[in-house]
Amino acid sequence: MTTENPKLIGLVCERSVDFKGHLDDEGNMLDHPSVKIIRVPCSGQIQPVMLETALKNGANGTFALGCRMGDCHYREGNKFCRDRLIGKRMPKLKPSVDKRRVQGYWLSAVEYDKLSELVGQFVEDCKSLPAPEVKSTAKAAK
Amino acid sequence: MYTEPLQNATLWLERGLNKLFSQKYNPFYYHGALPNFFIWALFISGLLLFAYYQPTLATAYASVRYITYELPFGNLFRSIHRYASDGMMIFVILHMFRVWFTDRYREYRIVPWVTGVVLLIITFIVGLSGYLLIWDQEAVTLANMTFNLVGKTPFVGAALAEALMAGKMITDYTLTRMMFLHLGIPLFMMFMLWLHYLRITRPVSEPPLALVVMLSGVLFLFSAAFPVELGVLTNMSDPAAAPLLTAVSPNVYFDLLYAWPQYLAAHNVAPLLVVLLVIAVPVGLLILPYLQKKALRDQFAVVTRENCTGCSLCYNDCPYEAIEMVDRGNDGTRFKRLAVVDPGRCANCGLCVGACAFKAIEIPRRDTNNVLAEIEAALTVS
Ligand code: HEM
Ligand code: SF4
Ligand code: SF4
Repeated sequence: MTTENPKLIGLVCERSVDFKGHLDDEGNMLDHPSVKIIRVPCSGQIQPVMLETALKNGANGTFALGCRMGDCHYREGNKFCRDRLIGKRMPKLKPSVDKRRVQGYWLSAVEYDKLSELVGQFVEDCKSLPAPEVKSTAKAAK
Repeated sequence: MYTEPLQNATLWLERGLNKLFSQKYNPFYYHGALPNFFIWALFISGLLLFAYYQPTLATAYASVRYITYELPFGNLFRSIHRYASDGMMIFVILHMFRVWFTDRYREYRIVPWVTGVVLLIITFIVGLSGYLLIWDQEAVTLANMTFNLVGKTPFVGAALAEALMAGKMITDYTLTRMMFLHLGIPLFMMFMLWLHYLRITRPVSEPPLALVVMLSGVLFLFSAAFPVELGVLTNMSDPAAAPLLTAVSPNVYFDLLYAWPQYLAAHNVAPLLVVLLVIAVPVGLLILPYLQKKALRDQFAVVTRENCTGCSLCYNDCPYEAIEMVDRGNDGTRFKRLAVVDPGRCANCGLCVGACAFKAIEIPRRDTNNVLAEIEAALTVS
């Protein structure tokens, strides 16, 4: 089974890729309109539970975006975020999470072109994954 | 903010370097660690020079000549020491510009910045005293002009020059004093480095092994291929008769880093003005962090006492030593410790938020509940 128009949530460090001029009013990427960008001060603030929440509520995929490894403005945030995604640091992503639906990208403010390419690839990959089950109680009640 | 174009330029440069070196070995990501590499290279190569150097007016030049032309491998060590000193200056300055251009130099980073300015001054003094130790004609001239300029400093000039020269004129003691500066000040540097790292959790103070090997190789081959020369000494008996440093010497680093005030002075710029220019550099650097508006308006992470289990995860992750785990006393919970944030050190970065599995710590500028609400909202709309 495939998904026609996969919805993606990107949790993004505000110091990494500069989205100025690349987002619509709702915060979706102009290049990939089904991708919603949500900013946080540093990828180190991204908790696995945020990514899990996105998937539970019906996102087909979700990604964290931080600065280049070695260049975190707060020194180690991106490294910690990556380690949480791959289960090497507490709090970890739940083992039950479908790893194909979670990505981490590490790019600097001047690398929008690369990010757009990678996200495009991710969108394509999500098309071949089955539609996710929505587990959120909020949605089930509706 | 004026640093934004500077930051973008740095990032573009690093983007190129990532292609060349790969992200893992990009030297720009070890901007603080590379000066440390050179400190070690200088220490090791300097030991041998120290063993054969003689700090008297009559023998200093001869001992350097012995090291350069007769001692086996002497000139290799001398060349390594010289080129490592150039490398040190280059990478310290690069480190400084990078933390400045990428806005890593103010507010909660004020301690590393201020100690960094002191380290910069120290590095210059060590470099300059090293050049003077050679005591060839260039060194003699530089010594004269430096002591002269220092003497022109308002109020403290005479005393400072006397302290530097270890007397009212250049004597054997002057070289002993230079030797003290060249060996003793680096010890003080170690103390300053300790202060430099005080508020930085896990400072990246060593470059990866591959970079160390590569840099050592470059330093070694370069020193073997282009051994340093020794200048002449024509006026040993009368240092004051040494010619002025008006022509540009073949050593660019030397000119740019240490000799420029002397050139200015030799070209009829008033000595007082030259002295003020020299003083303006560190003073300007110290003022720099205060020229920008505060980015975060005194915000800091806030702990919710009822949720905190004292697990220390936030304490481990905080990059600026801003969290302390304290004894929470008998407050009715079964937990022993509590996370407490030091507002002055907090970067408002949220790393502690990412570390906490108990919703016990938040930064005011980005509440977790808002992030979660935004995620849910984005998914219910469609
Ligand atoms: C002897 C020379 C120096 C050495 C060996 C040195 C070394 C270091 C190291 C290892 C770090 C930690 C980097 C990290 O882990 O992210 C650091 C940070 C820092 N240094 Fe230096 N440093 C030197 C001189 C300077 C100078 C001259 C300045 C500026 C005037 C400076 C300003 C800073 C600042 C502001 C930071 C904090 C950067 C951040 O928090 O991201 N340092 N230094
Ligand atoms: S991570 Fe959370 S629960 Fe653990 S000590 Fe820090 S604030 Fe308390
Ligand atoms: S926001 Fe948290 S992790 Fe960041 S400096 Fe402040 S206390 Fe430390």
